[in-house]
Amino acid sequence: MQSIQMAFKSIMGNKMRSFLTMLGIIIGVVAVVVLVSIGQGANQSVSESIQKMGTNLLSVNINMRRNNPINLDRVNEMRRLEGVAQASPVSNSSGTLKAGLNQYEDGSIIATTPGYDVIRNYSLKYGRFITEPDVNNRSFVAVLGQEAAEELFGSLNVVGESFTWKGYPFTVVGVLNEIGTSMIGSGDNLIIIPYTVGERLFQRKGISSVYVSAMSADNVSIAQESLTSYMDRLMVGAYSSTKYNIYNQTTALKTLNTATNTLTLMLGGIAAISLLVGGIGIMNIMLVSVSERTREIGIRKAIGATRRNILSQFLVEALVLSLIGGLIGLGISVLATRLLEPALEMTLNISPSIAALSVGFSLSIGVIFGLYPANKASKLLPVIALRHE
Amino acid sequence: MIKMEGINKCYRLGGENIHALSDVSFNVADGEYVAIIGPSGSGKSTLMNIIGCLDVQDSGSYKLAGTDTSKFSGRQLAKLRNTHIGFIFQGFNLLGRLNALENVELPLIYQGVRRKQRRQRAEEALSIVGLADRMKHRPSQLSGGQQQRVAIARALVANPQIILADEPTGNLDTSTGAEIMDIFEKLNAEGKTIVLITHDTNIAARAQRSLSIVDGRIGFEAQEVM
Ligand SMILES: Nc1ncnc2c1ncn2[C@@H]1O[C@H](COP(=O)(O)OP(=O)(O)OP(=O)(O)O)[C@@H](O)[C@H]1O
Ligand SMILES: [Mg+2]
Repeated sequence: MQSIQMAFKSIMGNKMRSFLTMLGIIIGVVAVVVLVSIGQGANQSVSESIQKMGTNLLSVNINMRRNNPINLDRVNEMRRLEGVAQASPVSNSSGTLKAGLNQYEDGSIIATTPGYDVIRNYSLKYGRFITEPDVNNRSFVAVLGQEAAEELFGSLNVVGESFTWKGYPFTVVGVLNEIGTSMIGSGDNLIIIPYTVGERLFQRKGISSVYVSAMSADNVSIAQESLTSYMDRLMVGAYSSTKYNIYNQTTALKTLNTATNTLTLMLGGIAAISLLVGGIGIMNIMLVSVSERTREIGIRKAIGATRRNILSQFLVEALVLSLIGGLIGLGISVLATRLLEPALEMTLNISPSIAALSVGFSLSIGVIFGLYPANKASKLLPVIALRHE
Repeated sequence: MIKMEGINKCYRLGGENIHALSDVSFNVADGEYVAIIGPSGSGKSTLMNIIGCLDVQDSGSYKLAGTDTSKFSGRQLAKLRNTHIGFIFQGFNLLGRLNALENVELPLIYQGVRRKQRRQRAEEALSIVGLADRMKHRPSQLSGGQQQRVAIARALVANPQIILADEPTGNLDTSTGAEIMDIFEKLNAEGKTIVLITHDTNIAARAQRSLSIVDGRIGFEAQEVM
């Protein structure tokens, strides 16, 4: 009880020293908590975009114009290869879409077949995806991303509405769920149409790009191998392997992921250094006040304080300072992450274990270096402590 | 009450030995009022620190109220200093960050006296030394004489059996000094044992007995005054 009173009197009595001690702790805690949460946030947003793309995604690109052996039947054959779950040809275009007075120019028009939604993990909010009959009958139907639907019709539930592109009328049969912006770009500006319709309107013959999904993330390399041997069989002759490439998205993203892990590690390292610097700050303040405090301890002992009285006073003092500093540090960290979130465009979460770790570390430094001189001085004879300049 | 026999205290300074106290022996009876006089550097403060259990002798025995002080534990010594001895330092030794009242309260805090009672007793002690109007001042805002009186109030507040005063009137004018001496005489009349260090033979003369100390040796037991 007395030691708590004493500690508070002492903290209030020397505001500058108290403030500097807390500052060391605050800086250490804020640095660690904020930097680590940025690292983790970056990591998470990369993982999320991998998830969004589908971790089992591969793409086959064909680099030949003439005698391209790949057609829709071949793509159907690819679906039956070992390790392969789905395969869909893809071709891209862009242009101005019109619906009434509304125009939409930022759309990404994709011509493909059923199954592409599965490959890309797209799900439908309204209506349905492209079907086999759509492809076979060259139906002028389209599935829209949310941005495209909003821009063209001002709402999302637009199944049955129609728009025109290059003068052709399309009927909307489905609207995708929100995809969001990822590191690969916006996913909500899609206009998906049957592959055969695209073939006609894009004035491009032959399939130059096929998206493939493996059975599972573990099957990606098996799928890649079977695709490779399948393609090699089709493209007999010299330089056959230069006529196509197979990209494995997972590999690319893993590289990206490694990069963000390095980033986290680096930020963690910087954070650890700031924590250390903060700790050294606390240490310095505590040690610098040794001489003043040694005299104080001498006086207290001379008028009847026991060693225990002295130590508990200093312990409480160090605990209170470190704890208040730690809490202020956490408060600032929460504020800082909220402010940084929109700027960095990622969700920043403060991990409780990191918060506990950094506060715990500062607390122990505060206590150790607060108690160390007190303990030493409390063992001295009162006269010797009193003589300390 | 105080029984010293063959006390020696030596300081080593760069290979040279300074005998601050050599073979000091004397007794102070319970309820006695003793003055110690001696020139500067003669070892008075050194002796007082040993009497007050703030320092320990190199050799010799010191019995306080019948017990050899070397037998006390740290806890017992703390209790002794807290409740049985009131020590007035030559250099005041007040805590600079506390005001006069808080300084005087300190011994009571370590006794575990409740806040209200503590405050009341500290205020009383300060009024005894004539500082009722300076309670909220910090030591740095007080004159030397006022600081000395705060130190005296702090020594009195716990109502100790023994009062050890190292030049308590050194910074006071004659009339304030005389007031303080009156306080000591009153305390002595109440049965407290008082040991007082002074340069001033007039002040020493007011004690029942005075000891003189020169070069760390007790010179002669001076006259019984009354
Ligand atoms: N810590 C110390 N280290 C070395 N020598 C010391 C120490 N303390 C005291 N002395 C020496 O011991 C001797 C006695 O000192 P002490 O303080 O007891 O004198 P004093 O009689 O109280 O003097 P004054 O009247 O000036 O207060 C002095 O010669 C002093 O130099
Ligand atoms: Mg002295």
